[in-house]
Amino acid sequence: MRKWYKDLDWIFILCWVALTIIGLAAIYSATQGPVSQFLPSYIQNNFYKQLLWVGISVVILIVVQFTAPRTFQQISYLFYAFCILLMISTLLFGISINGAKSWISIAGMHLQVSEIMKIGTIMAVANYLTSRRNISAEKLSSALIAVGIILLPVGLTILQNDTGTALVLLFLIPVMLFWSGLPRGISLFIISPAIIGYFSIIHWIWGLVATLVLTVMIFFIQKRTWLTIATLVMGIIIVSSVHVALFQILEQHQRARIEAFTNPSFDPHGAGWNVIQAKTAIGSGGLTGKGFLKGTQTQLRFLPEQWTDFIFCVIGEEFGFIGASIVIIIFLILLMRMLNVAGSHKHPFAQLVIVGISAIFFIHILINIGSAMALLPVIGIPLPFISYGGSAFMSSTFMLAICLNMELYHRDFSIFV
Amino acid sequence: MVGLFLVLIGRLYQLQILDYQTYNPLSKKNSIRREYVSPARGLIYDRNGNLLVDNEPIYTITITPEKYDTTKNHLLAKLLGVKISDLRQRIKKAEQYSWQRKSRLYTEVDFDTFSNIQENIWRLPGIGHIIESKRHYPTPIKAAHILGYLREVSQKTYLSSDQYQLGDKVGKSGLEQVYESYLRGKKGISYKLINAFGQELGPYDDGKLNKAPTKGANLYTTLDTKLQLFAEKLLKNKRGSVVAINPENGAILAMASSPEFDLSKLAGRLDHHYWAKINADTTSPLFDRAIAAQEPPGSTIKPLMALIALHLGVITPQTVINNPGYFYLGRRYGDHAPPGKYDVVKAIEKSSNTFFFTVMYKVASDGLFDKWHSLASDFGLGHLDYIDLPGERPGILPDSSYFNKRFGYRKWSIGDVINLGIGQGVMSATPLQMALVSAEIANNGYKIQPHIVRAIQKSNGTLLHTDPVKKKIPWVSQKNVNIVKEGMRRVVLKGTARWYANIKNIKIAGKTGTAQNPRGKDDAWFISFAPYKHPKIAMAVLIEHAGYGSQSAVPISALLIEKYLTGKVKRKWLLKKMLNFNPAKEKE
Repeated sequence: MRKWYKDLDWIFILCWVALTIIGLAAIYSATQGPVSQFLPSYIQNNFYKQLLWVGISVVILIVVQFTAPRTFQQISYLFYAFCILLMISTLLFGISINGAKSWISIAGMHLQVSEIMKIGTIMAVANYLTSRRNISAEKLSSALIAVGIILLPVGLTILQNDTGTALVLLFLIPVMLFWSGLPRGISLFIISPAIIGYFSIIHWIWGLVATLVLTVMIFFIQKRTWLTIATLVMGIIIVSSVHVALFQILEQHQRARIEAFTNPSFDPHGAGWNVIQAKTAIGSGGLTGKGFLKGTQTQLRFLPEQWTDFIFCVIGEEFGFIGASIVIIIFLILLMRMLNVAGSHKHPFAQLVIVGISAIFFIHILINIGSAMALLPVIGIPLPFISYGGSAFMSSTFMLAICLNMELYHRDFSIFV
Repeated sequence: MVGLFLVLIGRLYQLQILDYQTYNPLSKKNSIRREYVSPARGLIYDRNGNLLVDNEPIYTITITPEKYDTTKNHLLAKLLGVKISDLRQRIKKAEQYSWQRKSRLYTEVDFDTFSNIQENIWRLPGIGHIIESKRHYPTPIKAAHILGYLREVSQKTYLSSDQYQLGDKVGKSGLEQVYESYLRGKKGISYKLINAFGQELGPYDDGKLNKAPTKGANLYTTLDTKLQLFAEKLLKNKRGSVVAINPENGAILAMASSPEFDLSKLAGRLDHHYWAKINADTTSPLFDRAIAAQEPPGSTIKPLMALIALHLGVITPQTVINNPGYFYLGRRYGDHAPPGKYDVVKAIEKSSNTFFFTVMYKVASDGLFDKWHSLASDFGLGHLDYIDLPGERPGILPDSSYFNKRFGYRKWSIGDVINLGIGQGVMSATPLQMALVSAEIANNGYKIQPHIVRAIQKSNGTLLHTDPVKKKIPWVSQKNVNIVKEGMRRVVLKGTARWYANIKNIKIAGKTGTAQNPRGKDDAWFISFAPYKHPKIAMAVLIEHAGYGSQSAVPISALLIEKYLTGKVKRKWLLKKMLNFNPAKEKE
């Protein structure tokens, strides 16, 4: 038998260690810097709380490696049901933090249930799509059931007023269904509303251009007339409804938040403030950054939520272009490695789980870094392994631990059961 | 996916490398606050080095609501000596203003309250203080019109000058206004590190860039505090003014205008009730009568008339004019002086109108009216004398072109001109101008520059002297001026001032006058100087609605001169009488 550590995926582990250390450094800088005495004490404690969570997560990471991979498949529906129950009880008895009622207090620790919900959803969808030979995303009925499994927690997170997590879960639909055999054209069709919507917010002409490009692409990929027409019609509806929503339906302050993204100087002290300060923080970092604990934007609290949603600005300001691009490259390596592992894995459940997890990581990274650099509207979701937040860190580590586990036992995880 | 990550890195490159020059200065501006540090305003001293105006700290208690513990309300209310409901209301207001920033909770608390709070400051988180300064007047003198008050700088001024920020105080009257550029000093700059809430986190770069403020320059004035105080005391309950001047150099020894107002009530936080009250007062206390009240000089013009007439050769010292009890020119002009024969000295002594009507008639009929104007103008009449105070008025000293303009070309007659001979008609002068006339006769015809500030001491120690030189008025001959002075001395010995100004040990010379006042009783003038041989003080006193000068202006002048030259007043009965004298209550 091979030595166990030879099967351990050291790229996963190295990436995890590097990101965790960078994250701790950034959180330390954001909450323990030279002028931290002006921060409320509960924020000053964030660094130590995060350290504790890192400790707990290491234990989880190790314990998970002693679990047989089949166990995940066996308990996936149970786990999903348990998570749904937790979500419902959070809705009833939860705690509101920053307007989202998505926290539950267990033994004095605040836990964000929707973080675990992501894992439950991925495992349940993966299990369903691989449970029987005749179930595949190519079949409409199976695809709809899989979508239903995802939409239930999406609905619950929306009820919890946590749109960010809902958006992340929605992204699972095209990715997991595509991996499970859904035609590429239809997958593209599913994500096309997001792309068209994004460009419509910038300007309606761009929305129209995106619609046309996607229509042509879908036509050439799928060669189905009805899908092409559907894309075109849907695109035009989205462009016009975004336009109407922006200028007729939305209230002034709601519009301001969206305007803030396309045109920050529109309202420099209101919604545009965060965007301007975030860009200023990153832009003033330059090539090498201002140095650890020396970022003025960070230390003087010009950044809102700088230990979570805007933590990338801290890295950009204090470690500069070099530091920030290293972080992006590490993420890229991690994701590439995960897809690589998924592609070479024999077991379809393992493949789907790893792909689902990498999709979650990918959308988190894209939205968090994108909104920090004013490429996307500010949605407010954490950067995996880096942002402060115990539940998020723990669930991210848990997800990585599952991938590690799948890779560790990839020889023993038989497809013949 | 790789493509999207490349987009992220590309954006990072754009922000951090390409746009670095845009964002780096932005982040600096964000985190540094430039604060101006106000210097201490310059002090004002009297002629003997006594402090007239200095600065007094104002203690203001502040609150930062975020850090304040509301369970301390009772303690804080007790220490401040205020009602707890009032305190709560103010805290609420502060919270509405800003949760994180300092707000003023109570302004101008007294020093005991301030130190009480300081002793307990460890029990009061979020409570702080600001020490500001306000003008303080340590002496009992008011001199409100001379010293002047400060007001918040107007929007126009602070926008047009880089010396001021909004909320700065700037001199709005008196010396404070004229010497504003010296008194205010130069602002310092301090750079502070701030966070996004505007909280201060300490000095930027250890304060290396800070610039210390430069203290304002001190003013040394010519005022004599004792004389000024006495003048103000004597003017109480009266409307009028006193200008006392050193005839040798034009230094103003005392200058009072009544009714006065109280500068200390305008210092610090403005007492709006008081400000509204003095603005609405019909006796106009804000009006500086000493330099802006323009009244016909009446008979006080006669000494100068005599001097001019002697110079022009209209009369000689020997010229005798018969006074039948009136002067006739188309109609009778009355004369209070007894009928008889008058030479120039007697005419001054008895204040004969007939004599000076005749003189002025001769001036006009010899075509010397405009010459007369220019000679009188040499003594400071009819134009500004540029004392270092704002609001000075020029008075009126007509010449033919003035009359042409006022009445129409040649539409005026010799009657209008001869009235000028006795200081009536279309002619007016301020008390300052009449004091100058008196002083320039006293110093034998030297032009002097009236001034209040004699030296300015800059904060680095350099002294700027403003002592102006006296200049001989070329046409005044010693012989003629002696004749006029003899006439003025005889006014005190035998004439209209003999009752109150004839003091044994001090030889006073002077001339009374009455300015006809269409609004009520006549205004009373007295110009004077003393000692007769070597004058040290010249003075003009104008009391409104007081009737004859001999009953009001003369005794006030005499008391002031006695006080100035001997340091005391012997005639206590007169002092008491004059303190109680109130023209408004006198019966006609």
